[in-house]
Amino acid sequence: MSVLSVSHLRKHFGSVRAVEDISFEVEAGEIFTIIGPNGAGKTTTLEMVEGLVPPDGGTITYGSMTWEKNADEIKMKIGVQPQSGALFDLLTVEENMKLFSTFYSKQRPVDEILNIVNLTEHRRKLVKNLSGGQRQRLAIGLAMINDPEILFLDEPTTGLDPQARRNIWDIVRELKQLGKTVILTTHYMEEAETLSDRVCIVDQGRVVTMDTPAALIGRLTREREVRLTMTDGAGAAAEVERHLRELSSVMRVEREGKALRFWSVQPEESIYDLIGFARDRGYSIEQMSIREMSLEDVFIAFTGKEWRD
Amino acid sequence: MNYQKQFTHMFLAHLKMTFREKQAWFWGIFFPVILMVLFMFIFAGGTNREFQADIAVVDPSPNEASQMLLEQIRQLPVFTIESGEPVNREQAEQWIKDKKVDAALILPESAEAGTVQLIVNKENEQSAVTQAIAGIVEQFIQQANLAAAGVQPAYSLQFSAVTSGSGELEYRDFLLTGMIALAIAQSGLFGMSDMVEMRRKGLLKRLRMTPARMGLYGLSDMINRLVFCVIQIVLLSAIGVFGFGANVHIHLGGLIVLFLAGALAFAAMGYFISSFSKTMEAYMGVANIASFLMMFLSGVFIPVETLPDWLQPVADVLPLTYFVDGLRTTMVYASGFSSSYWMELGVLAGWGVITYIIGSFLYKSKSIAATR
Repeated sequence: MSVLSVSHLRKHFGSVRAVEDISFEVEAGEIFTIIGPNGAGKTTTLEMVEGLVPPDGGTITYGSMTWEKNADEIKMKIGVQPQSGALFDLLTVEENMKLFSTFYSKQRPVDEILNIVNLTEHRRKLVKNLSGGQRQRLAIGLAMINDPEILFLDEPTTGLDPQARRNIWDIVRELKQLGKTVILTTHYMEEAETLSDRVCIVDQGRVVTMDTPAALIGRLTREREVRLTMTDGAGAAAEVERHLRELSSVMRVEREGKALRFWSVQPEESIYDLIGFARDRGYSIEQMSIREMSLEDVFIAFTGKEWRD
Repeated sequence: MNYQKQFTHMFLAHLKMTFREKQAWFWGIFFPVILMVLFMFIFAGGTNREFQADIAVVDPSPNEASQMLLEQIRQLPVFTIESGEPVNREQAEQWIKDKKVDAALILPESAEAGTVQLIVNKENEQSAVTQAIAGIVEQFIQQANLAAAGVQPAYSLQFSAVTSGSGELEYRDFLLTGMIALAIAQSGLFGMSDMVEMRRKGLLKRLRMTPARMGLYGLSDMINRLVFCVIQIVLLSAIGVFGFGANVHIHLGGLIVLFLAGALAFAAMGYFISSFSKTMEAYMGVANIASFLMMFLSGVFIPVETLPDWLQPVADVLPLTYFVDGLRTTMVYASGFSSSYWMELGVLAGWGVITYIIGSFLYKSKSIAATR
């Protein structure tokens, strides 16, 4: 069942074409991730979906509700964690939560939320004294205050250290456990890959592609990159390079001194062949690895751009 | 949804944030109090001290005339004769150089040579003390001449100051009302920096994503600010009245209306500044310029009438000029709804309404670009 349906969204700010044409549907209970480089239109898209910015074109519907007709009902059903923390620094964790809870007709108990976002022991601390990770967890906690069906998390882990990032991941997984629908944007491919049920890649205000992470990676060619280093120096590496070029499965070879990189559509076959060749000549191989395909490769394949965190 | 509960929570949140903000304490409470106490000490004096001068008297050759003058000088309460007796000229000059005395009087050498010489330190030739001593001595000699000629003076000057109100406006009253007006103006001008912070941190956007009533939020904020201003008024008045003996005759109705108009007008000006300031630094810069301009040109410390002619028109358009005048009318003269009062109220309201409208317009037209 689709809880949110976005179709042909468009938004221009003067000459800046922030969003050109974005459509997607979000199913109940899934974690739906929007990824894309800076300026791709992620935040503008979210702000239109959250009712902050009116779109120039296209429609947004929550079931049968729209922002024009049901603004207050939609606000009761959604919870938002914006990119900038947006907290009252001079109030305590608990006071922030209590204040926000008075805005809604339905509330999830503060104690329960504090437990989920792991802030129980900091409840009486002023927000200005919290760490970056704690602030981000509070922002997510505030998004849960009205026990919403749909949560929007805009780059919840940007700027956090790896441990704090993993804490946030646990919270997102818990939200899914609670049956919530989560719409997430992120800068980190790894995050999108581990957390999402479905990923939507946007670039230059358009949807590039959308599917489960595994299906997206599976859509790439079978070509894999293999890296290895020859123990016996550049001469041996040059000989191996000549041999690799003769193999039909190998598409491309690069050599730098004794280090080699090659791209093969049948990596296991090529490696098997390579090891046999080296053993016949009495060469030994120092290191060898096959690089797994990731969402990053999906991004590069679909947009032709290098990914930059 | 319970709006009353929402409002109460918003108001309490604002109150807590204000009292936890060190800046608010410093600029809103501590700074005006210190400033007022300093100015009171410097210009209004802690006590009613009269003019006093120490002088030396030289009587080179005592004679009938010099004896008579010496006796009369002794009667003058404003002069204290150093060591009580005439000294020689060298001693007197030494005292002047050492600044032990303010001036030396050399009495006539004979009953016929009627010259009284006044000697002062060259550095102090133009000082107010010297002027005063010269004036007093001149007056004194006039009197002596008249007495010697046996003439009764036909005219005399009696000096007294008048004010237009019920009480006598002393400088301390002038300063007290000026400081209260300044404190309220500063609270409004600087207080709206919150808006810049809230916008920068995305809090305004965050609240708009909730079903919270933004009008209610703004109202709770405003009422909190008014509470803070009332604290300023009460505190400054208490220090002025009990610490420095300032006179307060309040017209309550007039004061309350004027206070509301003033606090809202200056808050509107702050709101206007916040509408075009992208950063806190930009906001503070503009607010400081406005604040300093008004502090010295609106009759807070010095009466507007004493400003140079070319500055008068500037003072005539500044809102603080009218707020200060209005406060003096309602707090010192206890006169309420006079025509000048309505004029003061009108100018304040005009400033408030115009800056609020321009500010709202700028917020609406630039909000998307500024908050992206």
